[in-house]
Amino acid sequence: MNGPKIYYTIPLFGGIPITQTIVSSFVVMVCLCIAGILLGRHLEKRPSRRQVLVEKGVSMLYGMVEDTMGKHNAYWTPYIGALFLSSMCGSYIGMTGIFRSATADLSTTLTWALMTSFLCWGCSIRANGFVGWLKGFTEPIVVMTPMNLVSEIAQPISMAFRHFGNIAGGGVLTSLLYTALATASAALLGLLGKSIPVSVVVLAAGVALLVSGLQKKKMPRKILGIVFIATGVLTLLGLGGVPYLEVGIPGILSLYFDVFSGGVQALVFSLLTTVYVGNACPAPEEA
Amino acid sequence: MTGFESFVGVNPWTALFTFCNMLITFAVLKHFLFKPVKQMIDDRQQEIDTMYADAAQAKQKAAALEEEYQEHLKSIKAEQDAMLRDATIRAQKREEEILDAARSEAQAIRTAAEAEMAQERKKAVNDLKNEIGGIAVEIASKVVEREINKSDHQALIDEFIRNVGDAS
Repeated sequence: MNGPKIYYTIPLFGGIPITQTIVSSFVVMVCLCIAGILLGRHLEKRPSRRQVLVEKGVSMLYGMVEDTMGKHNAYWTPYIGALFLSSMCGSYIGMTGIFRSATADLSTTLTWALMTSFLCWGCSIRANGFVGWLKGFTEPIVVMTPMNLVSEIAQPISMAFRHFGNIAGGGVLTSLLYTALATASAALLGLLGKSIPVSVVVLAAGVALLVSGLQKKKMPRKILGIVFIATGVLTLLGLGGVPYLEVGIPGILSLYFDVFSGGVQALVFSLLTTVYVGNACPAPEEA
Repeated sequence: MTGFESFVGVNPWTALFTFCNMLITFAVLKHFLFKPVKQMIDDRQQEIDTMYADAAQAKQKAAALEEEYQEHLKSIKAEQDAMLRDATIRAQKREEEILDAARSEAQAIRTAAEAEMAQERKKAVNDLKNEIGGIAVEIASKVVEREINKSDHQALIDEFIRNVGDAS
């Protein structure tokens, strides 16, 4: 498994590498901007169907942020929304096959995590002053200072690696699975290819399974029958190198590793950001 | 030059680009999507609130007006009653006044008539007296058949008539 491919290196400042990640994140940015501009146009007091959906999404996001951070922090919603959408689309763009997931690069997730940390520190400094912020590390007792420092440093690192690991790990697993299935299909076909009667038997068994599955309306039997038939046909034709087992199975796993994991990680990342920044921005009760 | 970056590694240029992209995405989404949509939602909410408040106010006003009219109607009725009563009382008073006036006038007329009658009677008595006196003198002169002292006889006759008048 490689990291992001470097397409081209701009010979400036000692070489600026244009990687897959940069391209993906650029594409995501452009898509999000265009979508945002298109969705935010022609707003009416009596909303159209599109506007109802957009408003639902926006107010849901505002509701989420207000629940987590409090009403006074509602102005953070655009940033959280942008982060969430960038993260989700950055993960999903890997499913197109053309681009590599932008979030499968530690540079991306670490940048976002550091942005969150800097925002937290900025909010703390704004709320308590620079000295007050530094003093915050010595609480509850002075002995805790190293722990507090470590946790402050660990926070962005953990966020970055969590997101990166989930998306990149999903990619690794998917490619591993492809390799494994290719190997398995090659081995199976090689095994059966040695004798023609065995492959005929396999083909006959496949047809029988398929017919019985069609009559009794049993999905597993149908699938198994098709697999058996494909195995028999490929063996008889002498095509040993076709990785036919790769059809279908990776799609189911991709549903988890790409769709579910991408959505959940985007949610987790933005929720953690709201929580951290929200903690740094307490309600202005004395004001 | 093509090649691959390490799987787990941080490229500062990628980080910088990601940072810029994030900022641009944030700015664009905020300006073109979140702000106008939120504004629209808030505006609508405010409009709805205003409408509800207006409706409540109008309802309250209508109720107040109704009460006012009811009060007004009641007062008009009371006024009417008072006017009627007043008119009745006045009419009764006027009736009495008119009756009184008529009665007193009648009384006056009667008194005047009585006085006139009394005077007439007195006058008639006097006339009768004079006439009787004349007749008596004439009769007496015829009886005596001579001219007597007229004044003496007149005195005698007057005395006689007075006596007669007193007796009658």
